[in-house]
Amino acid sequence: MSSTTLRRLIVISLIVLWELLPRAGFIPELFLPSLSSTIAAGWNDAGEYGHALAVTLYEVGISMVFACGGGILAGAIVGSLPRPRVLIMPMISSIYAVPLVILYPVFTVWLGIGSESKIAFAAIYGFLPTMLSTAAGIQTIDPQLVLAARSMGATLSQRLVRVIVPAAIPTVLSGLRVGGALVIVGVVVSEMLISSAGIGYLISRYRTILDSAHVFAGVLLVLAMAIAFNAAIKWIERKASIWQTGSRAGQRAADDITAAAVQPAT
Amino acid sequence: MQPLANVTPLKPAPRAGSIQIRDVGQIFKTPTQDVEALSNVSLEVKPGRFVVLVGPSGCGKSTLLMMMAGLRQQTSGTILINDAPIPQPDPDRVGVVFQEPSLFPWLTAEENVEFPLALRGVAKSERRGKAEDALKLVGLEGFGKRHPHELSGGMKQRVSIARGMVQDPPVLLMDEPFAALDEQTRMTMGDELLRIWAATGKTVVFVTHSLTEAVYLADEVVVMSARPGRIVDHLTISLPRPRTYDMLSGETFGTLRDRIWRHIRKSA
Repeated sequence: MSSTTLRRLIVISLIVLWELLPRAGFIPELFLPSLSSTIAAGWNDAGEYGHALAVTLYEVGISMVFACGGGILAGAIVGSLPRPRVLIMPMISSIYAVPLVILYPVFTVWLGIGSESKIAFAAIYGFLPTMLSTAAGIQTIDPQLVLAARSMGATLSQRLVRVIVPAAIPTVLSGLRVGGALVIVGVVVSEMLISSAGIGYLISRYRTILDSAHVFAGVLLVLAMAIAFNAAIKWIERKASIWQTGSRAGQRAADDITAAAVQPAT
Repeated sequence: MQPLANVTPLKPAPRAGSIQIRDVGQIFKTPTQDVEALSNVSLEVKPGRFVVLVGPSGCGKSTLLMMMAGLRQQTSGTILINDAPIPQPDPDRVGVVFQEPSLFPWLTAEENVEFPLALRGVAKSERRGKAEDALKLVGLEGFGKRHPHELSGGMKQRVSIARGMVQDPPVLLMDEPFAALDEQTRMTMGDELLRIWAATGKTVVFVTHSLTEAVYLADEVVVMSARPGRIVDHLTISLPRPRTYDMLSGETFGTLRDRIWRHIRKSA
């Protein structure tokens, strides 16, 4: 049996177990409501969940623009210039070790409990790995490729557009993957902490009234969001960098960063 | 000024391929001291000759090659390619092949070969035609659609040679192009290079660490001493062409290789 088939079987059996175990009474409905009652709860209040999803998606979207756009820009600058790299990289790496969620209450003081504070928090949260990854991607570009381009008469801008950017794409994309995932985490977590809208807020509110089915309906939505995001990144990766299979250097650097980046959100 | 054997009809002007190096010196400035890498190097290469530079590590032979390519400027002296200085890389006059094939992994073999043409805005169809010709010349017909990771080490270096020749420059500079290849591939590639050279009549300057390779390939071998690099010997290899594997064990071959080795041992 291929590993893909096996993976699918595992997912399907988990889904089946989610339905059967609570139904059979092995797990109390309070801890884990069955899949069907979870979906039913979500469906019955589709309007409420739809509105919450819209709020969350809006916040995620704006945060991603800031986190990914800003991260790539800052990473490109820091990665290509030695001086800022020496100054900034150690600081960024140290900040990375701090659980940024401790700053969230401060953000609500500055920006209120609406979307602005979530966007600010999630953007900063996703910005760091994207920036670090892009900087690493630029640094790991084989200088020999740039030299070869120069020997063929490439001008500075031609070297940038035709060599440095395509060579950096794989590492930048894996930075986006981590950064984007953290943006989703940042938005949902901040909604759960202090807010008045969004999926995180719904999960948190239904939890206080012990309505497990509605809590899990929210969890399902977040799950779907994360899976959709991951699929989108994979699609872009396939489109933009088929050459990854050939050069693993950049990929390795990205993996190192990814490993360092995964930290508990709260 | 002899015309090239297979100049494309689009560029009928005869081009030379001569190299003149006069009193070239290079000093690297480091924070603590100035290091003299090359001292008083003078060399004249006639069009169509196959010249090999050998010398101990750090003798500046690669540095000299980079200067001929316009990738680095000398501290003193002049370098003329086709009777003109080379203040920056000029792929119309000089093609460069490096030790690493340095192919762009996101491009196919033919896109890699087209790269120098694409930089100058040559039309797609013309580019494709020239890339096909160049790939055919290096024996890679039919491999144009492959990406570098789908090619062996020797094939990658062939693509790199094709890329260096796609603009038909009269001079081809090669910086230890076969050093990363295994022994068998290296021998084959040497023969291939001689075939290509004979077919195109280009001036070739070839840097290597291998004395056997030097004597086997060259018309002339230029021996350099360790830092500061200077030329200590300039031999003409009188072995007939085409060169054959049997010559490697001949007396002439051994004598020539010994003479080079003695210079290198002395200065290393």
